[in-house]
Amino acid sequence: MTWLQILLVVAFCFLAAFFCQHNDALYHQTIYRVDRVQNGKAVKMTDEFQNVDHYHNQKLFGTITNGKHAGDKLQIKNSYSDSHAMDHQYTKGQKLFITLHTQPKLHATVKDIKRDAPIAFLFAIAISLLFVILKLRGVTVISSILINTILFWIAVKIDHANNGAAVIWIFSVLAVIFCFVTLLLVMGWSKKMLVTLSAVLCATAATILITLIVFGLTNERGIYYESMQYVTQLPKPLFIAEVLIGVLGAVMDEATDIVASLATLKQERPQLSRMDIFKSGRQIGKSIMGPLINVLFFIFMAETLAMTLLYLKNGNTWHYSFSMNMSLGMTSSLISGIGIVLTVILSSVFAGLWIKGDER
Amino acid sequence: MGSITALGLVLLVLMIIVGGRQGITSFLSLVVNFGILFFTIVLIAFHLPPIIVTIVSSVILLSITIFWSSASDNASTTAFQASVIVLILIVIIIIPIEYWAQVGGFGLEDSEELEGLSTYVGINFTKIAIATAILSSLGAVAEASIAIASGLDEIVSQHTEIKSSQLFIDGTVIGKQIIGTAVNTLFFGFFGSSLALFIWFYGLDYSFGEILNDKVFAAELIAIVVSLIGVVTTIPITTWIMSFRLKRLHKSQLKE
Repeated sequence: MTWLQILLVVAFCFLAAFFCQHNDALYHQTIYRVDRVQNGKAVKMTDEFQNVDHYHNQKLFGTITNGKHAGDKLQIKNSYSDSHAMDHQYTKGQKLFITLHTQPKLHATVKDIKRDAPIAFLFAIAISLLFVILKLRGVTVISSILINTILFWIAVKIDHANNGAAVIWIFSVLAVIFCFVTLLLVMGWSKKMLVTLSAVLCATAATILITLIVFGLTNERGIYYESMQYVTQLPKPLFIAEVLIGVLGAVMDEATDIVASLATLKQERPQLSRMDIFKSGRQIGKSIMGPLINVLFFIFMAETLAMTLLYLKNGNTWHYSFSMNMSLGMTSSLISGIGIVLTVILSSVFAGLWIKGDER
Repeated sequence: MGSITALGLVLLVLMIIVGGRQGITSFLSLVVNFGILFFTIVLIAFHLPPIIVTIVSSVILLSITIFWSSASDNASTTAFQASVIVLILIVIIIIPIEYWAQVGGFGLEDSEELEGLSTYVGINFTKIAIATAILSSLGAVAEASIAIASGLDEIVSQHTEIKSSQLFIDGTVIGKQIIGTAVNTLFFGFFGSSLALFIWFYGLDYSFGEILNDKVFAAELIAIVVSLIGVVTTIPITTWIMSFRLKRLHKSQLKE
């Protein structure tokens, strides 16, 4: 990495953030820039669980930066607590989305903070790192993410059009397309790719089947669908669809690894029998599966942290806080784990059966 | 028997079938990681400084994930050192970003769930958002560093005379191979865990601008992009540490 590259990356990141700081005209919502803040006194407060917090009032003086009222000066009152759970402390220079009321005279309430600049900044770091470290390969990675995002959005659209009636089927079809597109991008059109694809699809299908059987046998005891967040349709199929999509990446990751290594092995030593290939596959899979399950475990569990904490601070028991917040994340992690282990078996079997020594 | 216990048993049996003893170790690492994660939350609930608690438990979580994997001694030591450096890097990036974006706490979408809960608990939720982002990146960083370190270790043990500059090139090649699929693991994990949220956005006709600036969405997006940055930087850092260790090994061999 040369100094010129570093300079270019830094310039790119700040340019992206700068653009987002000054793109107010692109928004339909009214945006307000805080020019000056007057902070009031803090008031101590204690809730029924003896949690101590402080409540602050602040007066914002600022300017509207877009729309019909651009340039108008406005004063807005705000209050916030030390914990910032549902409120924000605003500072000079920040941009906020506001709701304008014109009756009886022009006044406003703050809706939310404008967050596109930090996000653009972070994206710029990620994209430049991808290019600096991976060079051209970065293009493949980014295009694969883009294509998958578009496909995902289309599936959400179709799901909405169906009122969530066939959510599992829609996302199963999506899963097949996801795998096909991603594996095509990663491996190219080859027999290896077809072997990987069939291993991924069979493993995922078997995982969902096992999950449904276990749920049936245990009458879903300890699964609190009511604790699912942001649910606008029937929770159970939605949960299954979430897990289905969530585990897909890890399963593809693993199957690609195993099939590619086994193909190379068979290439080098064509005399190996199917059983030998299967055993080597198991050997490779054995070492990948643990860390891979942990990847999804941390993704699924970390996001429950804030709510679990709030439950604990509201005088709930450990058990109840776990059940209402972390149990679904735990369930997803375990189901993903089952999928990841099944993939080891299936990709080794399929590679043993279908990969011959004479082709690449 | 509850469903979670049953699923856990199915997983344990499958892991033993595939991995034997290693299967049991991998399963245990999952259980212990959960214990540490929960303990971390409890400690934060007792008003210990959230970011410091998170960093300390992150180091422990990384060491369990890495040292309990089946990687060789050399590979796992390298992977652990590399992932701790990446962890520090992630902390440095995430803290200013979270304060800038203010995604801590809960969004309007959470209102229904928050009914009846007091949100004035005296814990700074911006710090909790930082902890969340750090924790969700750990698995991906650990996995990437193990994969690269094992690959390089394989090369080193086969060609003991390899130059550290050549090793650096090999590391980048291995890194390129794993990154494409590692990114998929991350992004599908993200799509999966945010599916309900996306359907919510679509159902309530959020505009692109509204989604991008939405607190809940921004929080998840930041966490996943930070993990991505972590995984990408793992490639050069792991390779660098491995070639550093190799250089030291060559030097000590010369002395003998």
